[in-house]
Amino acid sequence: MQSFALYPFAPPGDVAALRADLRAWLAEHQPHDDVVKRANCWASFDPDFSRALGAAGYVGMTLPAIYGGGDRHPLERYVVIEELLAAGAPVGAHWIADRQTGPLILRYGSEEQRERYLPGIAKGELYACIGLSEPGAGSDLAAVRTSARETAEGWRINGQKIWTTGAHFSHIMLALVRTEGGSERNAGLSQLLIDLDTPGITIRPIIDMAGNHDFNEVFFDDALVPHGALVGTRGQGWKQVTAELGLERSGPERYLSSHALLIALIDAAGADPEPAIAGLIGKLTAEMWTLRQLSMSTAAKLAAGEDPMVEASVVKELGNAFEQDMPRRVRAIVDCAWDDDADLARLLRALLIASPSFSLRGGTREVIRGIIARGLGLR
Amino acid sequence: MSDARDMLCDTARAVLRGADDIAPVEEVGFALLLVAEGQGGVGGDWGDANAVLHIAGMLAPDIPVADVILSGLGDVSMPHRAAATVSLMAGAMGQALALSIDHVNTRQQFGRPLGKFQAVQQSLAVMACEVAAVDAAAAAMAARLDASGFDADAAVFEIAAAKLRANRAVGVVTSIAHQVHGAIGFTEEYDLRRVTIPLMRWRGEHGNDARWAQALGRQVASFGGRGLWENLTARAG
Repeated sequence: MQSFALYPFAPPGDVAALRADLRAWLAEHQPHDDVVKRANCWASFDPDFSRALGAAGYVGMTLPAIYGGGDRHPLERYVVIEELLAAGAPVGAHWIADRQTGPLILRYGSEEQRERYLPGIAKGELYACIGLSEPGAGSDLAAVRTSARETAEGWRINGQKIWTTGAHFSHIMLALVRTEGGSERNAGLSQLLIDLDTPGITIRPIIDMAGNHDFNEVFFDDALVPHGALVGTRGQGWKQVTAELGLERSGPERYLSSHALLIALIDAAGADPEPAIAGLIGKLTAEMWTLRQLSMSTAAKLAAGEDPMVEASVVKELGNAFEQDMPRRVRAIVDCAWDDDADLARLLRALLIASPSFSLRGGTREVIRGIIARGLGLR
Repeated sequence: MSDARDMLCDTARAVLRGADDIAPVEEVGFALLLVAEGQGGVGGDWGDANAVLHIAGMLAPDIPVADVILSGLGDVSMPHRAAATVSLMAGAMGQALALSIDHVNTRQQFGRPLGKFQAVQQSLAVMACEVAAVDAAAAAMAARLDASGFDADAAVFEIAAAKLRANRAVGVVTSIAHQVHGAIGFTEEYDLRRVTIPLMRWRGEHGNDARWAQALGRQVASFGGRGLWENLTARAG
């Protein structure tokens, strides 16, 4: 790599109008959520909001109109999602379907799959989860053991997924499974699109350390899905998943999901902040502004049809570090009791507790740095 | 990147590689880079200046190339100098990374190249992220200066953010570069000090961390919490 490839961020059309229209729409439709819910808002599940957002044309924006999508440019979608995140809108219900499952179905799915799933995704009504991690396959994703055996009736699935965000409210799972008996590592894997109401599937909650129910374990006990559940090419699951991760890692959620804390810090500081707080706001702003440039450039590279695997990893690495550091640095300077009920204090507490997950989900810090090192030619 | 900028960069590399004084830089006419064509100049933009200064930071950090280029502006303010320094820093950091990668791929210990050790790989990944961040900051700052017609007051938010980000990268970049080089990087003979010492110097020139953090923090406080995002998006993109 040597240098991060910088791509100019140039969405078509009138971007200022796109922002203004969305802000006006949000002023009318965004629920008056508690400030804590506005932080980490890509995990806030609100199907009414998702449906309204879909009806307004802000979900499935890049999908073709024939599947109910908006036929918009990927960078127009980028503008919309960064606005939604900066506003702390509750986008958790449709987030994964809109970000990666929809685009993956469009790229690799059959015509039947596209017609069946994409319109619901674009309406903000059909939600998806990602079936990658397993008890024995975390950072080492190629150790996936969940199997799908092809029979006369369809695919018979056995095994277990874990840490599955949103499985409890999702309609479908895009799962990475082993379809070739006796295969090893990243060979013999395929992607299946699984309806989660299929008999033989059990979903159990895992409560996280913040007391929230975001992730789950999902058990497959001889679950039978049709032949048509296969997405893309049998045995090419690894390659398809790699493309999916590019979509997952580069987005503005990697640096904007805690924006509510920066807003609260600035508002609490007032127009004439004391030097220590002004200095912290300055440093956080410089980092956030820089991350935005990196994220926009990566989105532009992705939109140009290129694979930004390394760039996406840089955004994730720096974005995670920024979002983990921010509550710690605020905690070090702002004097407030742990159980204070002011907005800033409650946000701080929630983000301090949530922040260990930032460098775990979507690829651990160590895995991400390994990808960057490979880009440098070291591996 | 335009053809004109490609040619400009070729010229800069040819002139700056191995240069040990400013004379060849003056001869090639970099003082006219930012001067409008109508006034007998080259009519280059800040993106061009950023590209040339990036090369200067890599190849000739001790030669005052920034002074020569900025002289074309006539009225040069401290933020202009800060902006030029960011570009130099981006180049010097890129060079520190390139030297580090080259070294760990060559130097063998325990029977294999240093770069095959995960601990070394992880360190260089951290360094590469910082280099990428400063590159992106320099480019965005240059774009803003071009949009504002080189008006440093109008671009002071971006200059502050970029200089502050570059300053904060200096510690990580210089320490990892030296760490992976071992003792050889600490010698006068080896090239690493040619970029790391200037980086240490530039961090304190034309605004250190505290200076720009206060300025930027106070500007953002005047925007208000929600106003930060509105300003950020109204300024560019």
